[in-house]
Amino acid sequence: MSRVQALAEAGHPLSRRSFLVAATGGALAFGFMRFAGAAMDPAVPGNTPAAALGPEFAPGLWFSIDSEGTVSVNIIRAEMGQHVGTALARILADELEADWQRVRVIYVDTDPKWGLMVTGGSWSVWQTFPVFSRAGAAGRIALIEAGAKLLGVSPAQCTARAGKVIAGSRSIAYGEIARRGGPARSFSAEELARLPLKPVAERRLIGRPTQALDIARKVDGSGLYGIDAKVPGMVYARPKLPPTRNGAKVVSIDDHAARAVKGYRQCLALDDPSETVPGWVLVIADSYPAALRASQLVQVQWTAGPGADVSEPQLQDHARTLIDRADAGVRLDVGSEDPAPLFQSAASTVEQVYTTATVLHFQLEPVNALAFEKDGVMEIHTGNQWQSLILPTLAKALGRAETSIVLRTYLLGGGFGRRLNGDYTVPAALAAKALGVPVKLVLTREDDCHFDSVRSPSVQRVRMAFGADGEVQAMEHHACAGWPTQVMAGALLSKGLDDGRYDPFAIAGADHWYDVGRQLVRAIPNDLANSSFRPGWLRSVGPGWTNWALESFMDEAAHHVRQDPLAFRLKLLNGKGRNAGSAPSAVGGALRQAEVLRRAAQRAGWGSALPKDSGLGIGTSFGQERDMPTWGACVARVRVDRASGKVTVEKLTIVVDAGTIVDPDGALAQTQGAALWGLSMALHEGTEFVNGQVRDANLNTYTPLRINDVPALDISFVDSAEVPVGLGEPATTIVAPAIANAIFAAVGARVRDLPITAAAVRAALAT
Amino acid sequence: MVAGAALALAWRPALAPIAPPPAASFAAPQIARGAVLASAGYCATCHTAKGGQPYAGGYAMETPFGVIHSTNITPDVETGIGAWSEAAFGRAMREGVARDGSHLFPAFPYEHFSRLSDDDIAALYAYFMTRPPVQAEAPRNTLPFPLNVRLLQAGWKLLFFRPQRDEPRADRSAEWNRGAYLAEGLAHCGACHTPRNALGAERRAQAYAGAAIDHWIAPPLDASNPSPVAWDVDELVAYLSTGVTRYHGTVAGPMAAVTRGIAQLPPEDIRAIAVYFADLDGAAARADATPAAVATALARSAAGGDDAGAPLYAAACASCHYNGADGVNPLRPELALGSAVHLDDPTNLIQVILFGIDALDGAPGVVMPAFGRALSDADVARLAAYLRATRTDRAPWPDLDKKVAQVRATAPGAE
Amino acid sequence: MTTRFTINGRAATSEAEGDTPLLWIIRDDLGLTGTKFGCGIGMCGACTVHVGGRATRACITPLAAVDGAAVTTIEGLDPQAAHPVQQVWRELQVPQCGYCQSGQIMQTVALLQDFPQPTDADIDAVMAGSLCRCMTYVRIREAIKKAAAAMAPAAAPGASS
Repeated sequence: MSRVQALAEAGHPLSRRSFLVAATGGALAFGFMRFAGAAMDPAVPGNTPAAALGPEFAPGLWFSIDSEGTVSVNIIRAEMGQHVGTALARILADELEADWQRVRVIYVDTDPKWGLMVTGGSWSVWQTFPVFSRAGAAGRIALIEAGAKLLGVSPAQCTARAGKVIAGSRSIAYGEIARRGGPARSFSAEELARLPLKPVAERRLIGRPTQALDIARKVDGSGLYGIDAKVPGMVYARPKLPPTRNGAKVVSIDDHAARAVKGYRQCLALDDPSETVPGWVLVIADSYPAALRASQLVQVQWTAGPGADVSEPQLQDHARTLIDRADAGVRLDVGSEDPAPLFQSAASTVEQVYTTATVLHFQLEPVNALAFEKDGVMEIHTGNQWQSLILPTLAKALGRAETSIVLRTYLLGGGFGRRLNGDYTVPAALAAKALGVPVKLVLTREDDCHFDSVRSPSVQRVRMAFGADGEVQAMEHHACAGWPTQVMAGALLSKGLDDGRYDPFAIAGADHWYDVGRQLVRAIPNDLANSSFRPGWLRSVGPGWTNWALESFMDEAAHHVRQDPLAFRLKLLNGKGRNAGSAPSAVGGALRQAEVLRRAAQRAGWGSALPKDSGLGIGTSFGQERDMPTWGACVARVRVDRASGKVTVEKLTIVVDAGTIVDPDGALAQTQGAALWGLSMALHEGTEFVNGQVRDANLNTYTPLRINDVPALDISFVDSAEVPVGLGEPATTIVAPAIANAIFAAVGARVRDLPITAAAVRAALAT
Repeated sequence: MVAGAALALAWRPALAPIAPPPAASFAAPQIARGAVLASAGYCATCHTAKGGQPYAGGYAMETPFGVIHSTNITPDVETGIGAWSEAAFGRAMREGVARDGSHLFPAFPYEHFSRLSDDDIAALYAYFMTRPPVQAEAPRNTLPFPLNVRLLQAGWKLLFFRPQRDEPRADRSAEWNRGAYLAEGLAHCGACHTPRNALGAERRAQAYAGAAIDHWIAPPLDASNPSPVAWDVDELVAYLSTGVTRYHGTVAGPMAAVTRGIAQLPPEDIRAIAVYFADLDGAAARADATPAAVATALARSAAGGDDAGAPLYAAACASCHYNGADGVNPLRPELALGSAVHLDDPTNLIQVILFGIDALDGAPGVVMPAFGRALSDADVARLAAYLRATRTDRAPWPDLDKKVAQVRATAPGAE
Repeated sequence: MTTRFTINGRAATSEAEGDTPLLWIIRDDLGLTGTKFGCGIGMCGACTVHVGGRATRACITPLAAVDGAAVTTIEGLDPQAAHPVQQVWRELQVPQCGYCQSGQIMQTVALLQDFPQPTDADIDAVMAGSLCRCMTYVRIREAIKKAAAAMAPAAAPGASS
């Protein structure tokens, strides 16, 4: 087995473990190779990478150096606004001592050699840092050795800096080394793992301000997104969507009226062995406007699958019923004895129920895909976040080997988790196969929303037991929601107690770092949700709702025992026991969470007097998962209009400890965006299912945050040399509870349902 | 006796056909003046079918009584006015009688044209007789019996038609009198802006009180115009010569073609029309109120409001229609000042929201997009209700949902 | 019906139906894909172009409406993509995913024509129609102010005339 194959296999199988540690192993073999089909250079107009010049030095998978000294860094992540290529390339270039002006990033097309291709979970920097650091370091060592030889000196006399190997007054550029044959040197996986990395003080790129390489093409209109993909001879398709996401069957299609539309070609009822798009009918035309026109005239009759009569209240009632059943769901292993007896003996207890409504991704670029067969390969041109998940599905749908399907890479007009589910590639590919011509499928905004993989509505019950002095003795957190991972990637379910399997992305967050004595965390799948629609992963996934319940509850608990909500939390974030934290990623544990909380409170003026009906509220979190904690805290300052119930958020103060910050401006941008997503979901978004369909399908009724409702933001990062962790999501989850807690501080109204509506605030004021 | 008089009026002789006069028989300056007059009378608007040859007729006019098609007024001998003498042309213009003696329907505003001077008639004749002849028979009208009997039009004339020549009013300036001549005659403003009775005749007692026409509201041109700022001479001149005003928005709907036509007149003529209407609506007396009215409107817009229409307005409308505290930009039509939100009938507002304004109409080269396919009836109703509530102090419009559906269904261009 | 207009200064004609949204003519027929499709109902701003110099939502502008008009897209804003607004957009690294940014930039250019020194209220009102799902709003606001400063006439205020 070749090393490349070994690498691919190490990364590819869909296991929870590989999902988290993908591509951290593997070896590098130095030698010459050229990658065909490297897909997208975000820095050049049209995003088509230029060919390398002259012989290329390509030490393994991750980068190459051509004869002009251009360093091309291969990025297997999707570019969806995080400037991830820039951040990752700087990790590698720093160790490589490359000249940053000569570094370009190549977002690659799918190929088994890349291993697991997924962009989500805020994992990219965290997962790639060790791999790219070592790849860069190995490259630097090899280049020094080869350069020394060419200069006729010993490697020990040489240093590397800014794309050159330097020996005293003499130097040789990396490009020249490549042109003259390059190094022939290999490192075993063990050698790689032992490679010394540069001390923090010698970092020249990591943590320094930089211009992201994808920016320029995003301000001149020349960046290419999936929706911009085209190929000669392609036809356009718009789907007619069945009444339900699952199990629908076409009964009849009447396209009589559509035949009068100029450019209309035909309707195609898809036969989908993968059952990704059951009951979809594509309306095919020579132009997209013709497809739109015709689709309005085509009449399709379906038999609906499950869920056609399901509405939000039923979904939530079902969740409540499940929570009440002791045998439902799976308990997580949080290293605790059963807390139930302590609730019997407690001096007092508090119990509350929190809900969150359905949320749409509403990424601005509606999902789309261009598919065609060329040279025996089904090419799918699209933006996607989890290529490794959809490829096997495509193989099943098309009845061909995964190796003869390639996803070509484009910019993503927003991901936010929507494009983790690559379902939209399937109908395009099926149509291309059926028609024998390239098919460009574009969903309208309404189509996109109707079959979005929404964030499932959730119900959570949280309770706490206190001793006579108000000390916390035990806590339980029960969360019920649709489980995206169960529906779309079953192999990734985690193992809980009693061999139960649960969706980590539907419960993470509830397994917090507070020391609460005995603890129970139970994840419950809402099977009615799972069958009625296709629950999805949405920016910050499970913590998006678990932290709403947890941090709202922590406030209620603090008030119950008449303690300051900040002091109450700090006392529980004591860093003891399993909350002490451990290497590599969680060093410091709960004490780091306490620190960001303290800092945020201090910056926001916690405890100072505020005008009438204004208040400060706290929310804090460890981000996405315990093994990759990003410590964050938010203090929201709100003003409440008692008469209308309208909540105005005046300021969000946020402090984040994400370890080493690779790209400071990128980190700030991600945190700004995540925080405002949190605000948007707290006050401006939320929809509901009505008879199997989401109520809102466009901006006439769905109202995400716009510029006129943006509050002042004070965002800062803890200066840290710890392992860099994720930043795309964590700030999302701390905003909503901070707002709810601030509303309580302002006017004494407690809201427990997300989104927070003016009506709910009025109702709470009335009680 | 009465019957005899009616019959006498009803019967009109045919005038003898002529051979079309050669183009060279008309003086170039006369033709040029005729061209301007034809524009200002926007003859082409009614006498050209959609996508058809200029002046070849066939344009379908929906009236409360049925569909009437305009006639071919190119100098084609068989289907146009090629065989018409200047006398026949003049009689048609002033009396509504065709060369063959048949009566024309009053959709043709001969009651207004009866005021035209001999010189203007001659210039128009010169212009039309030098257009390229187009052979085109007008489609059949769909007036029901007995309205389709042209002889009966004589009775209508007996009841309502008073041919008139203007006597200049000594108590008004020459400019005012010039304006009156143009507005009452050639520009036939009352044809749309004056309400009509059950038989389709203008109610003279309510001249310029505003009327519904062509699925739009032609707003009042007298002092009852509901715009917060009076239509003064400057606003009227701006409107009639450019289609764009500071305080009354831009021209839209059927009026757009009128403005394009009138804009061809010499500036002094446009000003004269403005002087006439500014007098009619009493603008001078209201001039002092303008700053306060503008301030009130801007304050209303700035306050906005929190009702269900507010987010729609913020996302769909404000980027163009917002004005800052510093005043009104004519290219950002201030909805709190325009007549559309102040009229008793929301038709005009709904028309513009649904169908937009193309580059040719309104502010030249500028487009208001069409929200018709973007927004549901309920959305448009929500938006209209929001504007009515926040931009005016007038009573809410009733049954907006129904009204939107109605406008959507009946307006030209509706699906 | 033939529709004639100019696009980025060049003559263009289209034989498409008059009610075809201008957006698809620009993107699919003229190949200028910098103008984006977001909501299709004129409420996200991603398709914003200039018609006659005014910011206009192309997704709900019928082709026939631009007959005789001058249309400018992000590609035609400046031949070197060096319009002061674009320069500031790069400098402050405004875009995240970038999908809405052509529209944001076209809307901003139009904003600054009407409001050369915009207040926060001006920015709120005029830019609220341009949705940024990545929520780059903080930077958009900052960039607008910076661009306004960069574009202000160099003459010192109060200079005698």
